[in-house]
Amino acid sequence: MTDRPVSKPPKWKKSFGDKLIRILHSDGVISSDDELIVYECDGLTGYRIKPIFVVLPKSAKEVSEIIKLCNHENVPFVPRGAGTGLSGGALPTEEGIVISLSRMNRILEVDIPNQRVVVEPGVVNLWVTDAVSDSGYYYAPDPSSQLVCTIGGNVAENSGGVHCLKYGVTTNHVLGLEVVLPGGEIVEVGGKTVDNPGYDLVGLFVGSEGLLGIVTKVVLRIIRKPESSKTLFASFDKVEYAGGAVAGITARGIIPAGMEIMDNLSIRAVEKTVHAGYPVDAGAILLVELDGTSAEVEAQTPIVLNVLKENRAKEIRVAKDSEERALFWKGRKSAFAAMGRMSPDYYVQDGVIPRTKLPEVLGEIEYLSKKYGLRVANVFHAGDGNLHPLVLYDASNTGEAEKAEELAGEILRACVDVGGSITGEHGVGYDKKRFMHLMFDENALDTMNMIRCAFDPKGLCNPGKVFPTPRTCVEAGRATYKEHPIQKAGLGEMF
Amino acid sequence: MNDPLKEIINIVGDDNIISQSPELETYTVEGKKPNMVVFPKTVDETSEIMKVASRESLGIVPWGGGTKIGLGREPQKVDFVLCTKMLNQVVEHEASDLVAITQCGIPLKDFQTVLGEKNQFLAIDPPHVENGATVGGIISTNDSGPRRLRYGTIRELLIGVKVVRSDGAVVKGGAKVVKNVAGYDLPKLYVGSLGTLGIIVEATFRLYPIPEFSQTLLAGFSKLEQLRETVDKISNSSLVPTCLEVLNPSLKEILSDGLGLSLKRGEYALAIRMENVERAVRDQISRVKDICSERGVEGIVIESSSEKALWGGIREFPWKSSQNNKTVCKASVVITDVTRVLGFLEDLSNRLALKILASARAGNGILIVSMDGEISSLVEAANSLRNLVVSLGGNLIVQYAPPVVKSQTDVWGEIGASLTAMKRLKSHFDPRGILNPGRFVGGI
Repeated sequence: MTDRPVSKPPKWKKSFGDKLIRILHSDGVISSDDELIVYECDGLTGYRIKPIFVVLPKSAKEVSEIIKLCNHENVPFVPRGAGTGLSGGALPTEEGIVISLSRMNRILEVDIPNQRVVVEPGVVNLWVTDAVSDSGYYYAPDPSSQLVCTIGGNVAENSGGVHCLKYGVTTNHVLGLEVVLPGGEIVEVGGKTVDNPGYDLVGLFVGSEGLLGIVTKVVLRIIRKPESSKTLFASFDKVEYAGGAVAGITARGIIPAGMEIMDNLSIRAVEKTVHAGYPVDAGAILLVELDGTSAEVEAQTPIVLNVLKENRAKEIRVAKDSEERALFWKGRKSAFAAMGRMSPDYYVQDGVIPRTKLPEVLGEIEYLSKKYGLRVANVFHAGDGNLHPLVLYDASNTGEAEKAEELAGEILRACVDVGGSITGEHGVGYDKKRFMHLMFDENALDTMNMIRCAFDPKGLCNPGKVFPTPRTCVEAGRATYKEHPIQKAGLGEMF
Repeated sequence: MNDPLKEIINIVGDDNIISQSPELETYTVEGKKPNMVVFPKTVDETSEIMKVASRESLGIVPWGGGTKIGLGREPQKVDFVLCTKMLNQVVEHEASDLVAITQCGIPLKDFQTVLGEKNQFLAIDPPHVENGATVGGIISTNDSGPRRLRYGTIRELLIGVKVVRSDGAVVKGGAKVVKNVAGYDLPKLYVGSLGTLGIIVEATFRLYPIPEFSQTLLAGFSKLEQLRETVDKISNSSLVPTCLEVLNPSLKEILSDGLGLSLKRGEYALAIRMENVERAVRDQISRVKDICSERGVEGIVIESSSEKALWGGIREFPWKSSQNNKTVCKASVVITDVTRVLGFLEDLSNRLALKILASARAGNGILIVSMDGEISSLVEAANSLRNLVVSLGGNLIVQYAPPVVKSQTDVWGEIGASLTAMKRLKSHFDPRGILNPGRFVGGI
């Protein structure tokens, strides 16, 4: 499997296109240049590759036939949901096709008494909550893009969101999948019931970034809406004080539904844009959302207020109604978009650190920002240590984009150094392949390659993502085989 | 003794093996006696042992506390047992991060003691803890208890692992942080894998603060239908119970007798546990009491040592008795089918003259069933229970049974088309098939 495949001849392309049309009919196949451009990147717009075709299947059967055709013709394929991903997971591959799941967007079953919703992968995240809201339920994983992003994409990335501190991430809410494996077989794993015997393939597929197959059905767990919720807002002179407040709340045995911190640069950007009422001279603001039974929330509120005061909060507000609550959150939710006011471009990262390392890592970010001469705004899920440093730059200045990437990489290195992760939500995709070795040694990468080989020995399913260098698949059972040095260097393949 | 075994003895030292009777007999696995039991003291020793075993294709049975060694099919071969008892150090407990790392041979009991020093705990409450169930064993078998309603199973709590692969390679997966999507979710792959993909030597967990206060409401129901309706009402309310358990009459009798409570015979029991700050607990218990009273049922509030004893009984009941023919199953169905299965068990008990104790995790759809009686009746009961559960879209695992019952019923049940993918995974992770061969699904 080489990095730069040879361009396919036009005659082959036409024939391949015809075969796709036979599976999907002409309205399910995109082949014109101006339409293909739409699919050349996802939310990571710095990298663009035009696929040779884009297909829009409507069923698992169609997905299976497409994949079987790809196997036959040795064509790589990349699945795509809404294309909102920030790590280039849906970036097409050279001389490959994109399989868009956007037409598989039906909610198949809503089973309130059993707390399950079954959906096709193209269903938008928020539609799930909308479908069960009247019954007093919701779907907990709530990434900021939930108005647009799809469940299929959430499954691929194991998406989080503000409320994942208390309620978990996607993998804690997916109980079953129907998957078309990279060889074309359709299998079901898990289901509406739990504790299925065998290996937890559901757990393996969630977060596998579309490398182990294409999901065509998802069984989700929904939960009861909390009886009561309360949002508190506090401003601080320094980010360290806000971090201290977060630690203090945790130390008191309280796990809020969410805790978010924004630094001065993000506050100023947000105030310019949406006027959420954040104090523009504050070093940091902290949002704490408590939820649960009314008694629980009433009991927790004074404790949290004390912690905030103990940590030198300058201003403390408690949202008095849902309108005010929405306003508190408006700022945080528009943080990324608001960066447009501060800078023509930004590059956001997604590192995770243990909460206790926050002051250390923020200090490191400040140092790096000065070293590279680029501003970094910080917005983060303080409750679980998931940072979103926004490196601001101007692409029209030569070399600045590269500097931004380098700076972001250094931030990730700092995160891993303190025991964290290079990605908490956005996935590795194309963007962070080069940082995988910061977290994983040869043995770990080798083990993950075993997993890939068990599912996709041909390497056609979303290749070029997540793993730094392509590795060959040893035939299972040949335990004594050792990789030839030429193979190891990625210079040659065994066949 | 063969040379490879001598080689292994050299790795761990003479003092850290068992090779003589009668001690060797205590490590019998489903009637098969190992040649030797080894106790590695470090991850490196474990790695070296696996290299030898892999080279020589020796069949290994990983062993923690041995409390669940009866789970699984008959082993294909048992050349030696690898016991993790000496890998028992807590590596790190960072209380402010609610994270801890431990070696996996540590008994859960000891781990909880260490965590308790900072008022935190690992939110898993499986059986066998008093008998030395280890953290590694709990992960490998995906064992759980009533607290799973609120906290999930070990799957939701495990955020990192270190394993020794069949070829001796030491592999780390996950991280010290809860939010982590880098690479495949290796920790999930190892949960419930029954030692077939590697020896789990270290685990990183997310922790929870020990709840401040706890109370349980125990209520008796003469009609299963009324119980179902009540459970439904509670599940759909905004109450947040830690445990929601339904006990069948036989089990209720045993437990309430043990507590010195004189509850009405022949009734099913609902046990709801609330854990939180005191004010929130009292409020929720009072609300549940009202829900029961509305249905003409008076619940009694249980706390302190009685509460502890009740939940201890619910966790351990299948394992307390030592009947010869005891057969323990775990059934999983959707929440609304729980009472249907309980009703079916009542019929089975009458029809086949079986003593059946059952506890249902009503909010999860899980039933733990312990049966005793004639062998042929047990076989029929297990198989017809599986048929019912599977027809309802669920699954049944036989957690424990005498060999004569096991041979006539399938421990794991049908897996379906995904078994092929599981076998492929296994063949990559353990090409020589040396890790717990034959015990897992599909004969893996």
